[in-house]
Amino acid sequence: MAIALAACSGQAHADALDGVLEVRSAYVSMEGGVFLLHARIEYPVSPAIRDALHDGVTLTVDLDTRIERERRFWFNADVQELTLRRELDYHAVSDRYLVRDVRSGTQKSFATLEEALADLGAVDGWPVLIEPQLAPGNYRISVRAGVRRGRLPASLHALMFWTDDWHRVSEWYTWSLPD
Amino acid sequence: MVAPGLTGPAPAKPRWRGVALVLLWAGVGVGALLLLAKSVQNSGEFSRLQPWILLLNVIGVVALTALLARKLTQLVRDYRAHVPGSRLTARTVAIFGALVVAPLLIVYLFSLQFLNRGIDSWFHVEVKQGLNDALVLSRAALDLRVREYSRHTENLAHSLVNATAEDVAQRVFEERRATAALEMAVYGAHERIIAASLENPLESIPTRPPSDLVRQVGERRAYVSLEPQAGGEYLIRTAAPFTESLTRGDDRYLVAIYEVPTQLAALSEAVQHAYSQYGELAALREPLKSSFRLTLTLVLLLAMLAAIYGAIFSAQRLVRPVQDLIEGTRAVGKGDFGTRLPLPSRDEMGFLVHSFNDMTKRLRRAREEATRSQRVVERERERLAIILARLSTGVVVVDRELTVSIANQAAGAILGTDLSAAIGRALPELTAGNERLGQFVAALVVRFGAGREEWREQLDLDGTSGRRTLMCACTPQPGADRDGYVIVFDDITMLLQAQRDAAWGEVARRLAHEIKNPLTPIQLSAELMRRRFLSSMSPQDAEVLERGTRTIVQQVETMQQMVNAFSEYARAPEMRITRFNLNQLASEVADLYRSHDPRVEIRLELDERIDGIEADRGRVRQILNNLVINALEALDGVATPRLELATRFEQAAGDARYAIVTVCDNGPGFQRELLGRVFDPYVTSKPKGTGLGLAIVKKIVEEHGGRIDADNRPEGGARIRVVLPMTDSTRSASGIRERRAELRREIV
Repeated sequence: MAIALAACSGQAHADALDGVLEVRSAYVSMEGGVFLLHARIEYPVSPAIRDALHDGVTLTVDLDTRIERERRFWFNADVQELTLRRELDYHAVSDRYLVRDVRSGTQKSFATLEEALADLGAVDGWPVLIEPQLAPGNYRISVRAGVRRGRLPASLHALMFWTDDWHRVSEWYTWSLPD
Repeated sequence: MVAPGLTGPAPAKPRWRGVALVLLWAGVGVGALLLLAKSVQNSGEFSRLQPWILLLNVIGVVALTALLARKLTQLVRDYRAHVPGSRLTARTVAIFGALVVAPLLIVYLFSLQFLNRGIDSWFHVEVKQGLNDALVLSRAALDLRVREYSRHTENLAHSLVNATAEDVAQRVFEERRATAALEMAVYGAHERIIAASLENPLESIPTRPPSDLVRQVGERRAYVSLEPQAGGEYLIRTAAPFTESLTRGDDRYLVAIYEVPTQLAALSEAVQHAYSQYGELAALREPLKSSFRLTLTLVLLLAMLAAIYGAIFSAQRLVRPVQDLIEGTRAVGKGDFGTRLPLPSRDEMGFLVHSFNDMTKRLRRAREEATRSQRVVERERERLAIILARLSTGVVVVDRELTVSIANQAAGAILGTDLSAAIGRALPELTAGNERLGQFVAALVVRFGAGREEWREQLDLDGTSGRRTLMCACTPQPGADRDGYVIVFDDITMLLQAQRDAAWGEVARRLAHEIKNPLTPIQLSAELMRRRFLSSMSPQDAEVLERGTRTIVQQVETMQQMVNAFSEYARAPEMRITRFNLNQLASEVADLYRSHDPRVEIRLELDERIDGIEADRGRVRQILNNLVINALEALDGVATPRLELATRFEQAAGDARYAIVTVCDNGPGFQRELLGRVFDPYVTSKPKGTGLGLAIVKKIVEEHGGRIDADNRPEGGARIRVVLPMTDSTRSASGIRERRAELRREIV
């Protein structure tokens, strides 16, 4: 059995998303009762990513946000969980990199991959919480960045569970919400 | 040895377990079907559950592997240890395994090949090439537009170098309308808008130029970019500095944004979409194949392991009743009839097991019956043994070779040997040193040799302790096996002796009565004749008369003495029991006869434990006198006559205490033929004496409840042993016993 599994998994890719993937900094500000998230993220850049994009692969870039209320004698309570989902792909006809916001459908194009990633890495003023959601207490905000191969058919996506190494998440970047 | 779980009724637990297992598998099957149906409708849900399903499958594979390894190890161990049923199990598993594994492997390899080829066929080289060509074509078409717009923007920028501000605005406006540009604007230093014209009248400010544009134009180079838009449209953004010379200090540049014609944009977008789709799928090619391979392998492993495990399970289930039967048969072979096998099912095997259980039940009953019968026989045998042991009659069972199979204590006592140790041995082997037994065996051999199987005769056996008379009866052993004889014999020596004693008593009484009375008249008549006629006769006649009457008187006196002796023997005077010291009496008697005949050495050995004895002192003295006289008479003519008088104390069972008086001499001893009758009257080998001495001794001893026997010492000389009870109570008890023994003998 072990031999069969090894034979089947032997052709799996090396880790395609090698490189730094981390949330460099993050904070929230409040404007008009809305908490806005500002974050700076570094995404990996590698020839493999560039080649994959040029081959037509779309990368889904997620920014997961989790807001918890701290409890002393029990697990923290989840207040809000949000994901800012954007897609990065290469437009072969125009030779440009496109960054698309999945929810709003807005799209930006960039001449270089670095510019596109720099745009993805700068999140400014993303509304994550409104004040009425907060009761008195201590809150913790955690931010995590993730990159994966996107836009797969669901059935194929399930099948890719075995060999898909196009999926990485960063460590959680966590801080407490000031009173 | 009974195999665990063999005994007792078939437990109900396995049946419930089987039902539970069936329900569990049915539940798993229904769950899998529901999941499949759900996944067809909503693949997203399936995708969410897929990792868990895969994890479950992997756990299943690991668990099955562990179970299978355990089962196989057990199977191999059993096979090597030649455990019953293990070979049948191994063979069944091998056949089942081969039947299952071979088609599974074929299907697996075929599916793998099919998948690989199927997936490879999606990515034909022609398709890829076609897409690349379409892409190149799209790019060429768009490039044409881009270059055209870029050249136009550059020309316009150059033409505006020397124009006034009003002219620039006017020219920009006119050119935008002429070229159908979306925006056209002139920027100065620091992106200051000098002039702008927009197609959308609602917007007043042109789109801010991107940084790369600003940077490039700052380097006095023309800029152009084709920018795809969200709706599938394309914008061509061009920019050109008014002058390429950095030294002229003119920072102005013209930016124009054109829209690609809709049809061209749509076609290009379609090409882009197809290219992107194909690229994504192509990137999935190898991972997809690996995933399929892994999934298929997992399914194969699950199916194969489950099939082999199922084969082992089924084989063991099939073989278990056989194993139980083997174990049960072994247990029955070892005598354990309590073995009950669990009923496996209601099929043929169940019928077989049921028959086995029925058989063991019958066997158990038969054995219980046999045990009961055996116990009865044993009890009877024990009773018989007790009866035989208590019997004063000797009973011996021998075969034709005279091998002893049964012998009681009395037989041993009568024959003078321990026959309990002779069971299984031939009687002739035991005759060494036992003259009496030798004669007994010789008598048997003579009769069996003559073909006599049933007889009843009196046997006289001579031995060192005298002649014994046995009344012996032989009969073949009852039953089918007639190769054996039951010999029953009784020592009637004492009985005969008692009869003789009684006869002699009667003789003595009659002598005393019939002879004593005429003696006195005879003597008186003889004396009267002598007195009357002696003086008147001639001397010759007188001498004859004198001699004749003297002879008559002497013989009458002799007869008188004889009659007195008989009278003494016959009479039974009242005993005067007193307590006296036996040792002292023995010393007195010894001293008396030492002085009487100093030539004889008389030795005394007295046991100090005999302090006093309850008996008739005068008659005990008579016993000692008669015994010593008898011995002294026997020592006549012996060179160194020696006489030993000994007393010895003996404690018997209970409180019975005896004094044993032994008188030995170194004379010629008793004649063999007389040894059994030395205590009879007139049995003597001596020239003088009445022949009543020992008879009287025996009579007195028996009156005291004692016993007497005589034999010859191995070193020569006679020995007489007298056993006297020391107390009146002991005497009474022994007297009762003696009387009972005599009564029994009379009955026999």
